Amino acid sequence: MIPLPVAQAAVPRGTGLVEWLVDADTWLGRDGILSSGLDTVTLCAAVMGAGMLIALPSAALLAHSRRGELTATALVTLGRAVPTFAVAALLVPVALRRGWGFEPWPIFIALLLLALPPLYLNTYTAIRHVEAGVVDAARAMGIGERSLLIRVEFALAMSVVFTGIRVAAVQVVATEPIRAFLGGDGLGRYVRDGLGQNNDTLIIGGALLIAALAATTSVAVSAVERLVVPHGVRRLAQRPAVRRGSVG
Amino acid sequence: MRRVAGVLVVALAVALAVLAVAACGDDEGEADGPTIRIRGQDFSESVTIAEVYGQFLGGRGYDVELLTPAGFRTEAIDGLRNDEIDLIIDYIGGELTALAPDAAIDAADADAIIATIGPIHEAAGATVLDYSPAIDGDAFVVRGDSEATAISDVADLDYVFGAAAACFERPQCFLGYTDPAIYGIEFADTVTIEFGPLLGEALAAGVVDAVVWNTTAPQIGVQGFRVLEDDRGLHPAQNIAPIIDTAVLEAWGPGLRDALNELSAAITTEDLVAWNIETDIELRESDDVAREWLEMQGLLTQ
Repeated sequence: MIPLPVAQAAVPRGTGLVEWLVDADTWLGRDGILSSGLDTVTLCAAVMGAGMLIALPSAALLAHSRRGELTATALVTLGRAVPTFAVAALLVPVALRRGWGFEPWPIFIALLLLALPPLYLNTYTAIRHVEAGVVDAARAMGIGERSLLIRVEFALAMSVVFTGIRVAAVQVVATEPIRAFLGGDGLGRYVRDGLGQNNDTLIIGGALLIAALAATTSVAVSAVERLVVPHGVRRLAQRPAVRRGSVG
Repeated sequence: MRRVAGVLVVALAVALAVLAVAACGDDEGEADGPTIRIRGQDFSESVTIAEVYGQFLGGRGYDVELLTPAGFRTEAIDGLRNDEIDLIIDYIGGELTALAPDAAIDAADADAIIATIGPIHEAAGATVLDYSPAIDGDAFVVRGDSEATAISDVADLDYVFGAAAACFERPQCFLGYTDPAIYGIEFADTVTIEFGPLLGEALAAGVVDAVVWNTTAPQIGVQGFRVLEDDRGLHPAQNIAPIIDTAVLEAWGPGLRDALNELSAAITTEDLVAWNIETDIELRESDDVAREWLEMQGLLTQ
């Protein structure tokens, strides 16, 4: 048994924000920012991975076959109205009674429901709006339906798909801290502890860390997009906007 | 058009004022003062307590307005300071933590707490009246099948400990349990859990083996948990006490002070538990629970 350091979660109230942020103990150790941040990043990555596995293929297939437009879109839009915290909070007692513990299922499911709408809608819209002329031309050249979907439609839609990934990822990262209020930890722990202990430094510091991670996520997804999406496709995605701009 | 409306409003206000004065004159006719605005905190025990004090004062002929319960201690104290409310009923140990968290006093001694928080409230224009024998204090709660009977027994049990964030920095809570000079417990792990029913869910599910709850939580009895004896006297005194705007108190005269002290003296810890069972388990309305209790005590008819 490893005895816990008594200093756990007990940052003195008088500690200044800068003083707290430059203290090595704040970053390292069992409850440090690094390990809390890693908890957050791991959960968010798992949610995004699962979300993309579910949303991207189904949205692409449905958009390609022009099927289920209304039903699927209505379902996903409905998902946007679901309050993430309420979903997680409702699932927690269920998970506890079934012996699954506080984590990770309740918060995972709640965040997944948050991530699906932007992923699904962006993918669906992007593929649905690939220029009909391009699709017809590809078909005329004898391309198979599967290749058409993957190599023409999805390839051309990638910029918009990535916008969906970025929006979803930022929302998930910015919302994940509610987990600290439902028996978990992660970066939200500082805000939770600050509220509970009447410690403004922890509240502000925690909020800054969450905001910084959300901003970093946005930049990181954009960087991946630059690496993955071919230059021509990116320019293609920007073209309509430019054209509209020059007319107006 | 606007002027006509203005005149009408003024006329209406005057008419109402005349009516109000006339109505007051009909009653007991002795003391008179401003409306006493009472607001409970946003959990059922506090709501019931506010109803009890409000209906009691109303029955004694005071002008009382019961506001919609909102917030917790911070909002209650802020409301008192900002003149949104005139009377709050709070737990004195919690008041101590909020107003003087680092005060070096024996927090198990109710009078020592009053001696500390009294002057702080006084400086801000509020008066702490006599505290009640009713206590809703910290409870170290374990499952019914635990081997421990007192908190010091937990030292060898390798328990996982769950509590709200506030507990982990308080000398009378986690710091005291782990302090070698007091309980010196080495917990296997700790989990921060929002205060409320979730504590019981986590304890029942075996995610944690001990939680810090409040002594009057009705789930403790209902779910078969046990409160361990605080054999080294760590927990602060958490008697309830009314805290009232000094100007309002003085405007009504000494009768108000006496009435409030009389009521506070009549409430017991068992009453708090009974109210919580009625509101949280039997899901009855807190105003009915309050009225019933006041009638039973003969405190409503005067």
